[in-house]
Amino acid sequence: MERTLSNFIRALRNAEVRVSTAETLDAFNAMELVGYRDRAFLKDALSMVLPKTADEKDSFSECFDSFFSFKKFETDPPRAGEQDSDADVSEEGHDQEGDDAEGGQGAEGRGEGAGGTGGRKSKSKKRGSAVSEEEDEDLGEGEMSDPTSALGKLLIEGARTELAMAMASAAEAVNLKEIQVFTQKGLYTRRIMEQMGLNDLSREITSLSQSRSTPARRLGQELKKRREWLREQVRDYVEQQFLLHADATGRRLREDLLRRVKLSNVEQRNFRLIQEVVFRMAKKLAALHSRRKKVFKRGALNVPRTLRHNMAYDGAIFDLHWKSVKIDRPKVFAICDVSGSVANYARFMLMFLYSLEEVMPKVRSFAFSSDLAEVTELFERNKIEDAIAKALRDYSGGSTDYGQAFVDFKKNCLDDVDNRTTIIILGDARNNYGDPRTDILKEMYDRCKRLIWLNPESRNSWTVGDAEMRRYSAYCHQVEECNSLMHLERIVGNLLRTVQ
Amino acid sequence: MPDIEQIASSVESIRKTFEQNRYICSNQIATAVYLAFHLKKPVLIEGPPGVGKTELAKTTATMFGMPLIRLQCYEGLDEAKALYEWKYGKQLLYTQVLKETLDEVLQGAKGFKESVSRLHEFGDIFFSEEFIEPRPLLKALKEEHGCVLLIDEVDKSDHEFESLLLEILSDYQVSIPEIGTVKAMAEPPLVFLTSNNTREISDALKRRCLHLYIPFPDVELEQRIIHARVPEILPELRRQLVNFIHELRGLDLKKVPAISETIDWARTLLLLHTDRLDPELVRDTLNVILKFQEDIVNVEAELTTLTSKATKT
Repeated sequence: MERTLSNFIRALRNAEVRVSTAETLDAFNAMELVGYRDRAFLKDALSMVLPKTADEKDSFSECFDSFFSFKKFETDPPRAGEQDSDADVSEEGHDQEGDDAEGGQGAEGRGEGAGGTGGRKSKSKKRGSAVSEEEDEDLGEGEMSDPTSALGKLLIEGARTELAMAMASAAEAVNLKEIQVFTQKGLYTRRIMEQMGLNDLSREITSLSQSRSTPARRLGQELKKRREWLREQVRDYVEQQFLLHADATGRRLREDLLRRVKLSNVEQRNFRLIQEVVFRMAKKLAALHSRRKKVFKRGALNVPRTLRHNMAYDGAIFDLHWKSVKIDRPKVFAICDVSGSVANYARFMLMFLYSLEEVMPKVRSFAFSSDLAEVTELFERNKIEDAIAKALRDYSGGSTDYGQAFVDFKKNCLDDVDNRTTIIILGDARNNYGDPRTDILKEMYDRCKRLIWLNPESRNSWTVGDAEMRRYSAYCHQVEECNSLMHLERIVGNLLRTVQ
Repeated sequence: MPDIEQIASSVESIRKTFEQNRYICSNQIATAVYLAFHLKKPVLIEGPPGVGKTELAKTTATMFGMPLIRLQCYEGLDEAKALYEWKYGKQLLYTQVLKETLDEVLQGAKGFKESVSRLHEFGDIFFSEEFIEPRPLLKALKEEHGCVLLIDEVDKSDHEFESLLLEILSDYQVSIPEIGTVKAMAEPPLVFLTSNNTREISDALKRRCLHLYIPFPDVELEQRIIHARVPEILPELRRQLVNFIHELRGLDLKKVPAISETIDWARTLLLLHTDRLDPELVRDTLNVILKFQEDIVNVEAELTTLTSKATKT
């Protein structure tokens, strides 16, 4: 049981539930206490020890259910004479059932309802031959010889529990837990089958089919079918285990890639995933910086406080109090170029900034291509994704004009910029040879605490063509190339650190 | 004095005893108390406000017949208020006394060396247990027959305070530099921490605790809670009002009504001698369950539909 629990914890970690070693030990203790006879009780108990947030509890519950469901074979092996009326429901089911009836009708006296199925038999025979053209010769009813290989015996006996156990232990032996990517599914299916004794079975089937006696050939056919059935079951099992153990690994690989890919190259279908990545990164940063730090200025005595506190000791000053400063949360103005070429970057930066609401409550954002407008309100009223979509739709028309945008900014809200404000400008500085208006940028630079320019283009092309980056960068505290999530994370992380 | 071992022997008996104490709970909550008792681990309780987090700790104390020691957290709470403080006044007084009797103590001492060694005999008397003023955390450790320690709204405190809690929560001990380590008595306290999730609790703290999330109860459970808390109310009205509250929780509100509000509302309706919900009455008493004007306005618009849904059998 200990093995099982540690495997379960591995699966949990895979499902993004963070479980430490200490918690693993707790889980063992809890399990010892509650035992594992009562499933719901065990689940309740473990759900207190292992997952520690509401989200994690959800994934825990899911994981628990799928991990501790013993893989049962939902269907019986295709068994002689076991035709039930359900077979009519689905076409496929019918075909399969039909084949069974054909192959093993009445074999070994197990055909419990054999008498009643005579009428349907002829129909299914036809259908069967239509489906698989190289259907073996029709051997009709009759005796079947006994299988010799171990797996064959199990299959013929239809021992579901034994088969399931054999499969589970075979999976253990081939280390199914190590499965990484979905392309390995076939490989593991085959390995498990081999471990269960596929080779012996196949050999037996080959030799049986060449046998002269009819019962032996009949057995050969029967075994073949059951082998197919078993393969299907194993594939199911592998699929389920893959979801449990490896799905996240592949996902993590993809996410890692997305962090590094250029944001303008992100395809539409990856937006959802990237959004999750952004939120997760933002959450990490928020957790890191949510702590409001006090900086203690050693050396500057807080005289009133010290006197007050020492009154109780007869005015003898021995409990000293120092001046401390509480750090304000950063006030951020984000000015985004949303014209076609840069729109995608703006999208992700805004997403990032607004995901950080917890640590940066005071974000004001502006969008421009030619005219600049404040979009803060859009974000207050809508969900982040909707707000971004609206901002991009409404303001992305027109050719880029940085000069005009700066003029608008000066007119509307330069007065709000104070010495605690950080201004982030996102844009490629391609001004279509218009007036760059560096004078206004200088004014902004003088007033604010920090002015950061993020340029999605690579550094080499900053001065090529109509790009004004060289002139603008004179009036920036910091100029950064920023075109992937990794860059964004680093820059915003630095922003939070330096403004504190 | 209730038989603690007997009560804690199974989850079922804990749940029953809770019910006798008018605290209706789900199996999960009872399991948490069961685990906390047997594994000797603190429980971190999270959930929306008003679902009975603090009440759980209080009821557990009554159930086990243990004293409840409560520490309310707030921003700026520090060890002098949570753990211990020196009795400065007493120290000062004793110094004066010592000063006056110093001559007697040193009488007959030859040379400086001997005087100093005599003084040393007094030891560190000013920093001994005599002069310590225990605050809730230390008090809980010193409780001989065990107690329930409730650290309420731990999310309101500073990060520094959280780290201070770590030693107590994992080993049930406190280090006081002048004295040494104070360990819990034979029976360590049963610790409950509550949090409203205004900020993320640090991983280190979470790791040391069992984590219990109390969500809003389902209709059936809430009816039983109302029955336990306001037994006088008629079953039909009880059903209607719980349904109404559940309808409200489905809406997009600034603050959805919690169990405590349901109970308050039940009491209000009882006071008004009503036997069924009607829109007019609900409109008049809406301020009992909704605490923001904005919410009240929003709900008033849909009042008739909500009420008819709730009263439908």
